[in-house]
Amino acid sequence: MTEEFDQYIKSDYEAGFVTDVESETLPPGLNEDVIRFISNKKGEPEWLLEWRLKAFQVWKEMEEPEWAHVHYPKIDFQDISYYSAPKSMDDKPQSLDEVDPELLRTYEKLGIPLHEQAVLAGVANVAMDIVFDSVSVATTFREKLSEAGVIFMPISEAVHKHPELVKKYMGSVVPQKDNYYAALNCAVFSDGSFVYIPKGVRCPMELSTYFRINEEKTGQFERTLIIADEGSHVSYLEGCTAPMRDENQLHAAVVELVVLDDAEIKYSTVQNWYPGDSEGKGGIYNFVTKRAVAHKNAKVSWTQVETGSAVTWKYPSCILKGDNAIGEFYSVALTNNYQQADTGTKMIHIGKNTKSTIISKGISAGKSQNAYRGLVRMNPSAEGARNFTQCDSLLIGDKCGAHTFPYIESKHPSAIIEHEATTSTVSEDQMFLCQQRGIDPEKAVSMIVNGFCKEVFKELPMEFAVEAGKLLEVSLEGSVG
Amino acid sequence: MTEASNAIVSPFTQSALDFVKSLEVSGDFGEVRESGMAAFESLPFPTRKTEDWKYTSLHALTTQDYNRPADNFDLDNASELFEVSGLDAYQLVFINGVFVSELSDEISEAGVSAVPLSVASDAQRALFKQHVGNIAETRRNLFTALNNATVEEGVLLHVEKNVQLKKPIQVINITSAQQQTSSAFARCLVVLEQQAEATLIEQFVSTAEEQNILLNQVTEINIGDGAKLNHYRLHTEDESSLHFGGVYVDLNRDSQFESYQIALGGKIKRLDVVVNHNQAGSHCEMKGVYLPKHNQHVDIHSYIEHIAANCTTDETYRGIMADQSKAVFNGRIHIHPDAQKTLANLSNKNLLLSNKAQINSKPELEIYADDVRCAHGVTVAQLDDKACFYLQSRGISRQEAEIMLSFAFINELLESIPVDALRQKLRPLLAQQFTSNESLTQHILDEEIGVCSEGAL
Amino acid sequence: MLSIKNLQAKVEEKDILKGLNIEVKPGEIHAIMGPNGAGKSTLGNVLSGRDGYTVTGGEVSFLGKNILEMDAEERAREGLFLAFQYPVEIPGVSNLEFLKASVDAVRSHRGEEAMDSMTFLKLAREKCKAVNLDQNFLKRGVNEGFSGGEKKRNEIMQMMLLEPKLCILDETDSGLDIDALQVVAEGVNSQRDPNRSFIVVTHYQRLLDYIVPDFVHVLADGKIVKSGGKELALELEEKGYGWIENEGA
Repeated sequence: MTEEFDQYIKSDYEAGFVTDVESETLPPGLNEDVIRFISNKKGEPEWLLEWRLKAFQVWKEMEEPEWAHVHYPKIDFQDISYYSAPKSMDDKPQSLDEVDPELLRTYEKLGIPLHEQAVLAGVANVAMDIVFDSVSVATTFREKLSEAGVIFMPISEAVHKHPELVKKYMGSVVPQKDNYYAALNCAVFSDGSFVYIPKGVRCPMELSTYFRINEEKTGQFERTLIIADEGSHVSYLEGCTAPMRDENQLHAAVVELVVLDDAEIKYSTVQNWYPGDSEGKGGIYNFVTKRAVAHKNAKVSWTQVETGSAVTWKYPSCILKGDNAIGEFYSVALTNNYQQADTGTKMIHIGKNTKSTIISKGISAGKSQNAYRGLVRMNPSAEGARNFTQCDSLLIGDKCGAHTFPYIESKHPSAIIEHEATTSTVSEDQMFLCQQRGIDPEKAVSMIVNGFCKEVFKELPMEFAVEAGKLLEVSLEGSVG
Repeated sequence: MTEASNAIVSPFTQSALDFVKSLEVSGDFGEVRESGMAAFESLPFPTRKTEDWKYTSLHALTTQDYNRPADNFDLDNASELFEVSGLDAYQLVFINGVFVSELSDEISEAGVSAVPLSVASDAQRALFKQHVGNIAETRRNLFTALNNATVEEGVLLHVEKNVQLKKPIQVINITSAQQQTSSAFARCLVVLEQQAEATLIEQFVSTAEEQNILLNQVTEINIGDGAKLNHYRLHTEDESSLHFGGVYVDLNRDSQFESYQIALGGKIKRLDVVVNHNQAGSHCEMKGVYLPKHNQHVDIHSYIEHIAANCTTDETYRGIMADQSKAVFNGRIHIHPDAQKTLANLSNKNLLLSNKAQINSKPELEIYADDVRCAHGVTVAQLDDKACFYLQSRGISRQEAEIMLSFAFINELLESIPVDALRQKLRPLLAQQFTSNESLTQHILDEEIGVCSEGAL
Repeated sequence: MLSIKNLQAKVEEKDILKGLNIEVKPGEIHAIMGPNGAGKSTLGNVLSGRDGYTVTGGEVSFLGKNILEMDAEERAREGLFLAFQYPVEIPGVSNLEFLKASVDAVRSHRGEEAMDSMTFLKLAREKCKAVNLDQNFLKRGVNEGFSGGEKKRNEIMQMMLLEPKLCILDETDSGLDIDALQVVAEGVNSQRDPNRSFIVVTHYQRLLDYIVPDFVHVLADGKIVKSGGKELALELEEKGYGWIENEGA
């Protein structure tokens, strides 16, 4: 039975090609000079260089976390290159037309809509920021967005154009010493997106960043900062891929969301980093810190579809600081072959009547290990706070593992917490029923898995929901004998 | 999780080592003691960063020496502390870990050995030696390692094949207040052979004064093929008590383990319950209630290891935290790769009665087999306003309504205890946890109208 | 018995009752009818003192006392009884334990001696029989796993045990089939007494065929918009609530 399943879920990684561009890549190694080089390359002000160097000091004194339910050989941080950029980016292209066509073809192949005309023609209503290794190569629809007062640009550019916002908010949600990888990111972060939505503005289109690792032996350390000012609203999407390579590559990002009074941020991720091959060789180590602070009446919604990476360590979290703030976490994590995922969320209830919802769907196949790890904390001030958590695991085959590690802490008698977890399998009976009704096995597994994930998919913006569905199918597809 | 090496040699650790060295070597248990000692010395002293001790601080142990308890107990009124009226059981009584023959029964049932080690025959000691330390693993718990290192006195309960113990065995561990901070150790080993049946009631009581004594007790239980143990573990010591307990159970083919644990709070009260489903068809049913109040702390860690296929676990814990008390519940269910067709369920419900009370609950599932049905559910809430109003609208005072509803929260578990005498002993004991005002508990304790009084109608 | 003057109340910042007046004399049965959302259930909850219902104006005097200052249990002890539309389930508290606690509280308030358990048990069984409820229900958790009809009969049984002075039946007919309705109505009618009054809150006229009211009031948008005799209920049944609302407008 297990072998039978295996063949349905062998995955084809369609984003695994390499783009042939000439890049400027730092040799592997990490020291203060590397940090100065990165900072200098981006022409950063002195305060930011100092900020980076301070983070580097902090990082050197920290220990790599080992509590997660994942196992991998120790990372040699001196064997990673911390900066790589296509040479053609040296002259900073001013518009899409000036961008190296080879780069543009990469995104065409990945199905990412870069040309504004195509978007306007109704393919999708999305503005894109494109990050290729350590630099942002293009940001679309900037004019249209600026009409609404929305700032959407690479963070390296925001440092120059909006230093007051960057200075005020960067590190305010995820402090430098928050954790090992966050500290590393602070020291060596390359690029990423910066978003500011002014008071009362509803962002006229979806914003999206597409991250691509291309160069060998490089790490990607992007940093995203989104500030939703009072009463504003934005929906942000994030996608990521990397070529198939035999060695493991490190991705250690930091995402900070600041959601001021009455504002709302909806943050969706489709994470499809290269997961390694069917023998467990290669793949991305995805060690990411994502966190939001929600002020009074604010709402944050994290939705993630995680199908890629060899090892995932990621807990998009909400600090519900203001009264009536709402936090949501919807997650689908699929692991196959030798993938390992330890992912979940933290909901820290501080304000009165704060509410959080956690819906987590883990699917384990092959020889993979998939863990949900979550924290729900009701502080003594969290009067009338509520949490509902539902965490379901689906096991496909008997060589994989599905794990649930919820931490539930309550210090307020009027706070209500409900947590439920279940485990199930795609049973032989279900498969037989489908087959007996003429449905082929591959389709049957995909149907069952899609049904299992429905609650999360419905939270994704339309374009992404389709992509996510397809992605799951790809991970489960292409392999029926 | 890697631990930093044992940087803190706490006074507790030091006095424990001294204690072990002072033990009279009776020879036959040397093996388990030595391996326990080795484990104890190699395990780091738990800190808040030690996952299994995340919410329970052992700081209290790092400030004082621990001595052997003084023999200061007055036997005359001792039985008041533990007597369960109407319960016909064999009693074995230990005070601060020392066997008290004056208060104990001599048990002579065919096919049954139920003796304290200090009076056991050579054959019985040999049997004890054969089993002791086989189940109580030391890698997870410093205190179990220490208990292994101190094996000397304790209970052996052995029931032969096809034998049903006629009466429950009541093992009573009393601690008495000490001048000097002290520690005492106790052990219990239960071996049920094929198709045997027994009921074991472990009672932990104390005098009512400030205790100043730490009790470290471990019970190991091996339930043979088709055998069944009903197990009760009742912790009703004074709130100043320190208790570190462990229950380790091996389940063989088609065996059954039914356990009820009641824990009032203590200064630190920690209980680890480890159940190994070693062979197919075994069943474990665990029910527990924890009721800390004042500044008390209760920590229950359960670990259910599904190693064999076709086994079932049904686990229900309820907790009510009052005042500034704190409770920790960790319920781990681990399904090993061959444990197909496992059914495992865990329910943990908690009620916080005050702004200063705390609960930390961590249900865990670790699953390596696919054809299994596992679930856990945890809730934390306060009393239901609607229910409270309903009672008030019938003239019942808010205060009494709250007590009735709090009691109702644990009543279901209490009512499922099959031994009438125990239930009747526990009802008032638990009701008193909510108030000392008898007029407020009269209705929940009224024999004629309570739900337990089947005969009344 | 009960005098409500210009009663105003709100729930979660929303005004529900907007100046309601009713006078109930001993022995009378008043029916309050009205469309959904008119404030019918709010009236029962406000009178019985439920948290979350804030009185913003007006007076309520029950047997000459201002009950608005009293806690819910004090009002109950004074003799005010609310039969709930949706009686709550309380697992773990036995029906008997609950009833005894309730009867003891009410009797003690009246200065009567506490009933011993055996006498009480006998009485409870008797009342059970009167509403055609199996005696096993006494042992079960309060309303736990009861059907809709059983819950309503349990309410009436409580009423019989507590012997209140004023009974408010909040949509007691909702969700009942005709047989259950008759049992409930018989129970209520058996309790009719020159010193006991009833307020029967209902959406439908049907119940009033069995519990015949002396007065019928129509509640719409938080006020009594029309009052009359029992024939008003029939008229409403025929013409619908739109008729009153239009007339009022």
